[in-house]
Amino acid sequence: MGEDCTEIAVEVRELTRTFGVRKALDRVSFDLPKGAFLSIFGPNGAGKTTLVHVLTTLTAPSSGTATICGLDVVEGAVELRSRIGLISHNPLLYPDLSALENLEFFADMYGVQDAADRVRELLVAVELDHRRLDLVRTFSRGMLQRLSIARALLHHPDVLFLDEPYSGLDPHAMEIFDSLIAQIREDHTFVMISHDLSKGLELCSHALILARGKVVLSEARSEIDEERFVATYRSTVGTGVS
Amino acid sequence: MSTAAEKPRSLSWRQFRAILRKDIVMELRTKEMVTSMGIYALLTMVVYQVALSQASEAFDPREIASGLLWLAFIFTSMLGLNRSLVHEKDQGCLEALLLSPVDRPVIFFAKAIGNLVFLGIVEMLTIPIFAFLFLQGSGYAGDWWMIPLVLAAGSLGIAGVGTLLATMSVNTKGKDFVLAVLMVPLMYPLLLAAVSATTTAVLGGADATTPFWQAMALIAGYDGIMLVASYGLYEFVVGA
Amino acid sequence: MKQLKIALVLLLIGGVLTTVAFFMAFFTAEVQRFGTVKLDEPVTYQNEAGETITSAFPFQIVTQETTAAPSAEASGAASVDTTGTASAETTVAAPQFEYGKPWFSQKIFYFHVPVAEASFLVLLLSAYFGIRFLTTRRKEYDTKSRIAMETALVFVVLTMITGVLWTKASWNQWWDWEPRLTTYFIMMLLMVAYFVLRNSSEDEERRAVYAGAFAVIAAIDAPISFFITRLLPSNHPVVFKSGMATSNLLPFIVAQIGMLMIGYAIYVVRMHEERMRERLEVVKDALED
Repeated sequence: MGEDCTEIAVEVRELTRTFGVRKALDRVSFDLPKGAFLSIFGPNGAGKTTLVHVLTTLTAPSSGTATICGLDVVEGAVELRSRIGLISHNPLLYPDLSALENLEFFADMYGVQDAADRVRELLVAVELDHRRLDLVRTFSRGMLQRLSIARALLHHPDVLFLDEPYSGLDPHAMEIFDSLIAQIREDHTFVMISHDLSKGLELCSHALILARGKVVLSEARSEIDEERFVATYRSTVGTGVS
Repeated sequence: MSTAAEKPRSLSWRQFRAILRKDIVMELRTKEMVTSMGIYALLTMVVYQVALSQASEAFDPREIASGLLWLAFIFTSMLGLNRSLVHEKDQGCLEALLLSPVDRPVIFFAKAIGNLVFLGIVEMLTIPIFAFLFLQGSGYAGDWWMIPLVLAAGSLGIAGVGTLLATMSVNTKGKDFVLAVLMVPLMYPLLLAAVSATTTAVLGGADATTPFWQAMALIAGYDGIMLVASYGLYEFVVGA
Repeated sequence: MKQLKIALVLLLIGGVLTTVAFFMAFFTAEVQRFGTVKLDEPVTYQNEAGETITSAFPFQIVTQETTAAPSAEASGAASVDTTGTASAETTVAAPQFEYGKPWFSQKIFYFHVPVAEASFLVLLLSAYFGIRFLTTRRKEYDTKSRIAMETALVFVVLTMITGVLWTKASWNQWWDWEPRLTTYFIMMLLMVAYFVLRNSSEDEERRAVYAGAFAVIAAIDAPISFFITRLLPSNHPVVFKSGMATSNLLPFIVAQIGMLMIGYAIYVVRMHEERMRERLEVVKDALED
């Protein structure tokens, strides 16, 4: 395997993503130390999703570089994919398979060894072991989200991406979700996209505001003056490309 | 930390089997594709009956039988192809697949083979029904293996190119329509050769062997070239 | 603006060349009697003067309903129907070259074939830009690929129109599911499908990727269609089997060059328009900031 995630988990340098005259990302640069929790804020069309797509190797950058755990998102793409996990607002699970089958399927895709044990262990951890044989289409939104955490953790990723994980969750499900994240908070680096300022700021150790593809603000949580931060965020809303 | 210690080849094989197994398990559970394709094929038979209802007594149905059959296959296949990709698209599962350390061609082959299997099942159901309804009393002149051979070669082309096209059309407005618009003209040479081969097999005759193999060679050529092209283009298309 | 001027000059020259070729076709070119080509063997026949001629262009002998038939009998010829070229051994004694209409229908050849060839070249160009786009992901290649496909579509439609006119004049029917005609019909459908695909994808980049991939696979499919239909029996004239007379080749080449110039001019003009549009968008974006 490649380099270990020792110091810097995510390193982004002058990352630009253009198509024609549209600049989805415009010279984005930032570093994220290992174990950090980065919240990315910004209005719709600010480039948040594009940034996560580039970091998760789904989209290639037009110029600039990005590395995760020392692996380049272009050259080391295949290896990098086994080091990251994604929890999205979409469950990314097959509704016509049972919880167990879903996890077994993704364990195969990631080449997880001793898959049966690992799957069982995670099902217990997200408290879905009793429903493991039920079809995923019968699950509630909160259960889906828990199962998708299990899916994302199957292959022991170093970096977890959260794409609006709270949308559609009721307060109770949110609580469970938060407690699960808190359990794995120590061992992973997080990158989260969020609309929800208070939620995002509560969890994060670093925050970043994107607007029109550019980094407007990038600070560690400790340096953030909340009032100024909120004002900056507000000023970006409405500048988004519709 | 890492779990991807397996050799890349055996991992790809494991991923291939996983995707194929998942598609088959889901199909066995919902029976969505095979039932919808099967019913569609039956409906086509009814329409054929209407179309042929005014034909004269002397008319030999064997002359157009293979054409009608392939027409049924091409349209039912589109139904199945579309469904098979809609499954992936529904909950963003395709994104999850692309996020895993899988080589894109593995996805292509697994989906194409899955589609081939389902298409094969529908063909095996359709042919006896078609023969029962339209070809009673007509003889079959060729060797027994000729029809399965044409079917296998033709379906391979449909499944391969169709998987590429369905991956595109599933992301467009009006999925089914776009798939039909893309697929029919691209399939034209294959259909022409397949109908020609099937007809020679059905009608037989003393000098049927040469045109049969000629048509088979054309199908093989089409399959070879178009599958390589689809395989090459899939990586771009699936990630878009 | 410079490019636009070049395009207009090309359009002018191309137009003049095509017109010149057109006149040459009428006044200097020999009449070639293209007929059906079901045969690989040349046909031997005797012309009116009684000379024995071996030709790679077997005639489609048009028996005129009332006048031609008796004279054919009178000269002791075997009765030949319109499909009488089916056998390679046919030896037609004193055939009647009484074509129902003046042989002008053949003149369309100088327009039809160059357009058909140009359409195919432009399709290949589109596929080439499609590949360039897929590997570089630069939008300009997508635009080029699309414009090339537009030009190809224009040419294919022209081919179809001229082809149908010719079919009517020579075979006395507007349309025949003759393999080569069908191939062009399929090509036209492929190009229409290309634009359907473009119009139904919403995301700009995804649309470009799909279009590029489809342009490539369409350009691969078209020659396969061509090839497969060639291997099946066909009624379409095959021109270059035995070459052409110089007086015919000359207008043909002139027309071909003219047509390619016109094609390129269309392409350049459309590209220019697209560039202007893109520049407009940059300006709009800048104003928004």
